[in-house]
Amino acid sequence: MGSRSAAQRVFSRPVVVTLFVALVLLLGASFHTYRQDQELQSVSLAELRMASWNLAQLGHEADEFGHELRSMTTVAADQDQLLLQYDILWSRYDYLLQSRESAPTRNHSDNESRLRSLFSQLRAMETPLMALVSGQRSDWDTLTMQWQPQRLALQQLVVDNFVGDETGLLMDQVQASRERLSLLSVLTLVVVAVILCYLAFALIYIRRQSRIDQQTGLPNANYLQVLQSVDVGQAIIACEIRDYRVVLSEYGTDYAADLTHTFIDRLKVGLELYSFQLVQLSPSEFVIFVHTGDTGQLVRQLLASVHFDWMVHDAVLPVRGIFGIDPAGAGPTLDWQDRYQQAQRCLAQAERQGLDHCINNQDLRKQLMEERLVHAGLVRFLADEPSSLSLSLVYQPIVSTGNIKDIRGAEVLLRAWQEELGPVPPNRVVELCERFGLGRQLGRWLFRQVAMETRQLYTDLGFQGTLSINLNPAMLADELETDVRSLLLDAGIPASCLCMEITEDNAALNFGRINELIQRLSQAGVGFALDDFGTGHSSLEYVRELKIDRLKIDRCFVQGIEHSAGKARFLGSIIAMAEQGFLKSVVEGVENEAQWNLVRAMGGSLVQGFFAYKPMLFSDFLAEILTHWSTVSTDHTLEVSS
Amino acid sequence: MTRVLLLLFFVILTGQAQAEPAITLSDASGSLTLVRSELEAFPQTVIETETPYYEGKVTFSGPSLRRVLEALGIEGHQEVTFRALNDYSVTGSVSSVLDLDAIVATRRNGAAMSVRQRGPFWIMLPLTERPELDDPQYHRYMVWQLAAIELK
Repeated sequence: MGSRSAAQRVFSRPVVVTLFVALVLLLGASFHTYRQDQELQSVSLAELRMASWNLAQLGHEADEFGHELRSMTTVAADQDQLLLQYDILWSRYDYLLQSRESAPTRNHSDNESRLRSLFSQLRAMETPLMALVSGQRSDWDTLTMQWQPQRLALQQLVVDNFVGDETGLLMDQVQASRERLSLLSVLTLVVVAVILCYLAFALIYIRRQSRIDQQTGLPNANYLQVLQSVDVGQAIIACEIRDYRVVLSEYGTDYAADLTHTFIDRLKVGLELYSFQLVQLSPSEFVIFVHTGDTGQLVRQLLASVHFDWMVHDAVLPVRGIFGIDPAGAGPTLDWQDRYQQAQRCLAQAERQGLDHCINNQDLRKQLMEERLVHAGLVRFLADEPSSLSLSLVYQPIVSTGNIKDIRGAEVLLRAWQEELGPVPPNRVVELCERFGLGRQLGRWLFRQVAMETRQLYTDLGFQGTLSINLNPAMLADELETDVRSLLLDAGIPASCLCMEITEDNAALNFGRINELIQRLSQAGVGFALDDFGTGHSSLEYVRELKIDRLKIDRCFVQGIEHSAGKARFLGSIIAMAEQGFLKSVVEGVENEAQWNLVRAMGGSLVQGFFAYKPMLFSDFLAEILTHWSTVSTDHTLEVSS
Repeated sequence: MTRVLLLLFFVILTGQAQAEPAITLSDASGSLTLVRSELEAFPQTVIETETPYYEGKVTFSGPSLRRVLEALGIEGHQEVTFRALNDYSVTGSVSSVLDLDAIVATRRNGAAMSVRQRGPFWIMLPLTERPELDDPQYHRYMVWQLAAIELK
């Protein structure tokens, strides 16, 4: 926590503002230096060099002339050389005052007027000079005297241009500029270093922050990304708030956040005896790493702790946590990612089965392994590929209470066989198909198989018994009519001999839609039955609402009727109720003679049960029909097609 | 008689004073002096150009520098030095100097140039025709009051 508040200080407004200001100042200083140097650069160094060159030449040429002038009174006198030097000096002044190139030199300071003055003084020497050269005069000293002040003024001009004045100033400015630049470089280095450190720190801070949930301060999913390993001695628990979505949708984000906080507090209470780490994946999902040897004890404490009533407004909402647990050191794998996945799988399993927790143990692993095998087998089988799993059909005859051998039809039942597992319960096959989106494929296979097996019974033998086919939930869709028509009716099964069985749970979706489906097939003559009647939540409502022809009374109403007159009366009243509603009832699960006799006494219904017939292969079913046809059926004659 | 002598002397004197200006070309093997009329007997090149020295265009004429150097012989020489009356001198490689299309100007706007007019000879470059030459690094070859050319 200490480091966190330190981090907060570092990222506080004053620090950020200070850094920003430092940066702005640095930019300002850079800009200032740039402007200053711009001014310096406006002074052309090329012009400066040209000026210095010209004035140096002027000085040199003046010296040459002076030298020749002085030598005129000596033996080294050379008049031609003197005149030449005079002309050269003359041309230099002319150049400095006239040419375009030397304009900056003469325009600098008061150079031009001084040059003009010097030039006129030089020209004033021309007449006496000519006179002396031609011999009309001989007072060279006078001319030398006249030259001396010019020479001094000229030297002064050169000195002023190079040492004093602006050239010197310019040098000072250049020096200052260099000093500014070096200072600026140091400042820039310092500020850049500081900002880099700051950014590095910020990066570390942000990376750490990104692993923490902003709402609750718990490590989040990003934390799991960087997690290297989990001690084998720790259990990994995936946890979810079951009713979170309800709270979010009903009461909004604020209450949902409140629920999350409350739930976390509760979790911590449940975990207080253990050393644990709590990671938050989402507002309603958590992972717990906890040291424990007794998983059962831990789960009991957790369940007790997160099973609470949560007050919101005036309502009380019962909140539950669901847990998926991979216990310490239990699984065959040591990789924590795999164990985490197991925990999540357990959570999913608990959700699916409506449990409050699920522990990854031998049984669960076996169950999941079996599911995988069955699923893989189903996919291949339904795709008509060689498969380790095979599906087949059996038929359980439905008989009249009037004559136990009078077969009025059969319920088509699914059987599954897996090479390694042996028989697989059909409801498990149906559940897996529904879960993995294979439901319709399964239904179509079933229709096709029924048609293939029983077609001859109807087309060639004129059998008129009813085939009851269980519809799995995925089949209760608009495509049902098409499937029934194309796979069953078109294959030659008479519509009047088909009865589609819907369980109460499957019908719970939408009466209107189900009735629409029923109606469309009813028009073709297909019948419908409500299966497992009496086991759902509101059975009578289904009977009232659904447009069905048959009621299949669940075996639980038959159990014990031979021992209890009350139970028998109850069953009788159900049958009577069905009759009142113009429904044919089929009593399921009649398993002994006493039950048979009782049901027969109630009259009017059909019976399906072990006492009459067990489920059998089609060939046996066919043989059974053929055996009893003539003995029981007086009004049906066997028709043999020609 | 004295008058005649004086006149004669004057004529000789003025003849000397009026002596034609000349350029001295020299190399390790010897030297050659070319006076203005000799220079003007070479094929003449006219350059009409802007210069750093005058406002507007000025016309210079004279033999090409190449022709003048050929009078001594260019072969076997690497460097050339131009020397002015005021001892200013500039040195460059023969090939780069010949690339400048320079002339040894003897006349400006048709008139011979005095020393005061930065004559009698002036190395001139066609700055207007070849603007890339209008640069201080080439300006330094535009030696005025040219007195001597030395080849090495």
